[in-house]
Amino acid sequence: MTGLTSPYLWYTTRATGLVALALLTVMVCLGVLVANRAGGARVGRFELAQIHRAVSAITVAFLAIHVVTTVADSFVATGPLSIVVPLTSPYRRVGVGLGALALDLLGTVWLSSLLQARLSYGAWRAIHWLGWLCYPSALVHALATGTDARHGVGLAVVVASLASVAGAALWRVTARPDRAAGRTAFSPPSRPEPRRPGEPPEVGSRTRG
Amino acid sequence: MAVRSRTDTFVLLVDPIQCDGYGHCAELAPELVHLDEWGYPILATTPTPLAARAVRESARLAVRDCPRRALRVERHPGAPVSSRSGRRSE
Repeated sequence: MTGLTSPYLWYTTRATGLVALALLTVMVCLGVLVANRAGGARVGRFELAQIHRAVSAITVAFLAIHVVTTVADSFVATGPLSIVVPLTSPYRRVGVGLGALALDLLGTVWLSSLLQARLSYGAWRAIHWLGWLCYPSALVHALATGTDARHGVGLAVVVASLASVAGAALWRVTARPDRAAGRTAFSPPSRPEPRRPGEPPEVGSRTRG
Repeated sequence: MAVRSRTDTFVLLVDPIQCDGYGHCAELAPELVHLDEWGYPILATTPTPLAARAVRESARLAVRDCPRRALRVERHPGAPVSSRSGRRSE
């Protein structure tokens, strides 16, 4: 890389890394809310799914900035290869390697969701479970390489993130409804009986109670 | 491109094995989907004309956002329409 020595690239890397971790946390928690069929009264279940999707897109954007500025910055030596291939970085080999792993996993999950229409449901679902590997590697990456992750605001973000995701994971395991969680307040009121295919369509001659 | 007649219709169909009762469809397409008391969808069986844009859009969103990808839209050709029949005389 060319010698970009401005400290601002480095600051951008640090800041976007921290924001990406916070967004990743929100994204995982929203995903758990969707999977556990939360919502339906004040917020629609489909809305939670939409927010999950939107937050994911924002996370990917922040992660892109985080990664590009890391490569472009010459303050620490991380080549373009070490961004995607774990354990190839001369600088903090394991820490950056975990970041690369998290990036690969998130990229895979993201791509699979973009190509969802072309994948079978089972394949998409299996790939989506990789998210649970992505989060811990991202968190350990933050702790291992993060300049700001061990004190002040950075530490607060890391602790809050870990607590939220651990809580979400626990809730996901313990409180998951194994079948439908019933009607939602957003769903339309129930009708007496839907029309059967063979039945003639309703006409005016019918009396209505 | 297939010619879309004004009388073409569609129905929303669910794969009952794949459906897990997430209930997103009833929120997205209330015109076509009602939930039973366990949260599984009961779909309107009467075909909806493709000309009903809002309902068609609801159905599209319900298909797209089904977390189990259990929904699909099936189109049915309507009665053939002669070339002038749709026009209104001035």
